[in-house]
Amino acid sequence: MLNLMEAQMTDRDDADNSNARATIWIMLAALGIVMTGGAIAGYWSEMRSDGGDPLSPPGIIALALFIAIIGGLAYSIWRNAHKIKASGDPLSRREKLNNRILVGSGSLGAIIAVILSLSGRAGDGRPDVFSNAPISEPVALLLAFTVGVLLPLVSWYWHKKVIDEQEEAAYRTGTLFAMYAFWIIAPVWWLLWRGGMLPAPDGVALYLMTTFIVVIIWFWKKYR
Amino acid sequence: MKNRLKVLRAMRNWSQAELGDHLDVSRQAVNAIETGKYDPSLPLAFKMARLFGLRIEEIFDDESDGGQHG
Repeated sequence: MLNLMEAQMTDRDDADNSNARATIWIMLAALGIVMTGGAIAGYWSEMRSDGGDPLSPPGIIALALFIAIIGGLAYSIWRNAHKIKASGDPLSRREKLNNRILVGSGSLGAIIAVILSLSGRAGDGRPDVFSNAPISEPVALLLAFTVGVLLPLVSWYWHKKVIDEQEEAAYRTGTLFAMYAFWIIAPVWWLLWRGGMLPAPDGVALYLMTTFIVVIIWFWKKYR
Repeated sequence: MKNRLKVLRAMRNWSQAELGDHLDVSRQAVNAIETGKYDPSLPLAFKMARLFGLRIEEIFDDESDGGQHG
């Protein structure tokens, strides 16, 4: 009887288990907007430092292209958010709080990226956000406070009060993979650098790699 | 681990999010448990048992013992 009931159940939760694909697109589009915003800021400061006019005809074309990209990405976010809403996928209390904190943290990250883009003076070809270029002392202190004090507080609250045990397990798995990747890749890179085969180990690259691994595995374990 | 969570939820006409609210977990967690992708902790399993008025072994089926329960 119960098996028959299970076979006949077609509630809307089963029709779309997680909205994972739409969520991935929203995250990628948001990241794209941040990166494009950084590119605009970098382009603008580069033009000005070269004595050029960012609002010259070629400059306007370039800016229009950047703005079109941002517009397309924003449309993608709107469309996928609408898709999630239209799927009738209800959220529990924890998820609503979780989503609010994620959006807040993402917005804060975007603000940090824009500040770094506007403050950095990179000359090594990398985007200013991830470069080792000098920044002013007040900006460095402000961002270090944000990352060193605010981030741990928000993270503590998030792990203690917001996420549930399934997401905590997803984090643990992601962290384990990232830790082993760091433990293996960092010394291999360092040894090959000492052997003269690679450039010096780059802390930012290692940081981005471990973060990327945690996020990918967390997402897969949470939404698969 | 197999379980009857989906059936028990349907009998109460709850969505996954509603069950998640009763158990204080996310909808994804309920989905992952129902589909056998995540095995809940013992405290959460007891919480489910209390919620449905059943014993844990009446909700979860340890496939390794052939599903035979006393």
